[in-house]
Amino acid sequence: MGQLVVNGLALGSIYALVALGLLLIFNTVQIVNFAQGQLLMLGAFIGISCAVTHELPVVMAWAITMVAMALVGIVFMVLVYFPLRGRPAFLVILTTIAMGIVLENLALIVWGPLPVSLPSPVRGPPARFAGVVVSMHQIFIFATLAVILLLQFLFLTKTRFGILMQATAQDLHTARLVGIPVNRTIAVAFAFGAVLSGIAGLLVAPIFLAEPTMGGSLGLKGFVVSVIGGFGNLPGAVIGGLFLGLIETFGARYISSNFRDAYAFIVMIAVLVAWPRGLFGEKSSEKV
Amino acid sequence: MFYVSLKTSVTAVTAIWLSVAVAADAKADAASCPSSIPFGLTTALTGNLALLGTQARNGAEFAVDEINAGGGIAGKKIAITTEDTGASSTDALNAMNRILEGKPLFILGSMISPHVFAQTEVVTKSETPFLVGATNAKVTMQGSKWLFRTHVHDGQLAELIPEYLVKTLGKTRPGIMAVADDYGLGASKGIQAALAKLKVSPAAVASYAPSDKDMSAQLLEIKDKDADSLILFGRPADVTLVIKQMNDLGIKLTTIGNASIVAQTTLNNLSAAEADGGYAIGGMIPQTSTDAKIMDWSKRVQDKYKVPADNFTVSYYDTVYLLKSIIEKVGCNKPAIRDALAATKDWKGMLISYQADGQGDLAHTLGIYRNKGKTPELTGPIKESGY
Repeated sequence: MGQLVVNGLALGSIYALVALGLLLIFNTVQIVNFAQGQLLMLGAFIGISCAVTHELPVVMAWAITMVAMALVGIVFMVLVYFPLRGRPAFLVILTTIAMGIVLENLALIVWGPLPVSLPSPVRGPPARFAGVVVSMHQIFIFATLAVILLLQFLFLTKTRFGILMQATAQDLHTARLVGIPVNRTIAVAFAFGAVLSGIAGLLVAPIFLAEPTMGGSLGLKGFVVSVIGGFGNLPGAVIGGLFLGLIETFGARYISSNFRDAYAFIVMIAVLVAWPRGLFGEKSSEKV
Repeated sequence: MFYVSLKTSVTAVTAIWLSVAVAADAKADAASCPSSIPFGLTTALTGNLALLGTQARNGAEFAVDEINAGGGIAGKKIAITTEDTGASSTDALNAMNRILEGKPLFILGSMISPHVFAQTEVVTKSETPFLVGATNAKVTMQGSKWLFRTHVHDGQLAELIPEYLVKTLGKTRPGIMAVADDYGLGASKGIQAALAKLKVSPAAVASYAPSDKDMSAQLLEIKDKDADSLILFGRPADVTLVIKQMNDLGIKLTTIGNASIVAQTTLNNLSAAEADGGYAIGGMIPQTSTDAKIMDWSKRVQDKYKVPADNFTVSYYDTVYLLKSIIEKVGCNKPAIRDALAATKDWKGMLISYQADGQGDLAHTLGIYRNKGKTPELTGPIKESGY
């Protein structure tokens, strides 16, 4: 039982990280980026290119990956968001799906179809508590999630730029009218969103291996988690992620492993029926 | 005396004339092929099955390049047209329709069974020899006389894996874990049936979705139900994860499964301790060969494609050479190629000999492997009963 809890929480932490990146972009431009999972995959492969192919120290590989992902986020914004800004939201969403497919096949061409492992930045024997095994990497995942959640919360609520981002999210046109550098704010949101996905990729690759198609399922779970937590709510996304990780793990163990993926969508539908705005969604009236 | 001599002479001249005529006809058959012999290949080059599909492409393309570099078939070059099936059966059917527009002399299909099921009808209608590596036992039970398989299938594995586990390794309480797709679930059912014949009940039967990354719940279930071994059936990427997670959870079980356990892709991502002791039964792989020619071939394939050759690479490579040998004999006549394929007997490929059975299955020899650290060792070849 204890082991299932630990493994479920570790899996849920990954889902939560994907969701945090998704929400950072959504909270700024009200667009769901369905290529978030593929950005995760890209982060994993950039890390592998640095740490495995070029044998750079893992810490340096992490640093390079985060910078590269910030640039990828900005390029993504220029290619996907800017040309379709002001058009119906579904067009942008469809474009993000298309971009995800492009990224996946690009990775297939560049890195090939073989799954590859990335070394963990933390090493050492696993910790054992009453028969429950917790690997150092799992502990690192929990710690990383906690730190990122805290930093993101502080950034959005305590820094000037974070508050500008929230203002942009509330009303993009008014934000522009009052002199907020809207384009720069959006660029930062896309860059940070991509960096968060890249970090999730770096965390996933040592335990789940990296392969070009790894992002599809994880990206979708990140979306489900965001819906469960209440779209736009950061703590909700984290709690939703951990909750989903536990549901999947316990469901696979005690109900049936055949329907593991289905549990995510069953839970999402159940939550939406009971709480249409998700577990922690805020009530809001339609913007005028 | 004169009469006898004349008769003998006439007979001899007739025999010589006939043999020359037959030889000339055979030569004319191969020579009558078009200046470039059209060959179609449909395989998964994108999507989540690309890892498997590229192995088929590598094997077939490598053989074609070798044959063309050596002067082709009777001086005629093979012109290969490849269409990507992606990961869906609909795309596989569309890919096959595009291939058929080019009127190929023969077609190599996917090793993904649902793709082959989707394609068989249109290929059969086109009356084109269709050779596949798809492993679902039912692929060759569709009643198409144009369809042949040159790779071992799940039915053979489902019989041999439990038998080896119970009779040779002495394990009587296995857990079964398989990827939840056509490939894994079909094998899982076959394995359960074979275990029942051996009067062995599995301790637990679990599966995981092809996209699953965390299999710890299934492994803990198998451990909690006191399994003494694990029968594992999946693709290299997920088999790697299962073995890694077993190790992380401290679960030590004798593990036996399909060739993914000894695939180079799997071993590249495992430590020696994690890989050590795993058994696999499956299509023959080139890695364990000590034959200098095969070792050189493996190296050349690796150098060209940056991916180590596996059992599918060998199977598709052999298939192209088998067709070459047939076309050299019967020419570019599709029914004659089909009949020759159906009559294949002890045709020697790179690692095994091929022999056609009544259903169109040509591969009947499997390898039993055991990992010593990260190096697979051939415990021995094993033949399907009757071969």
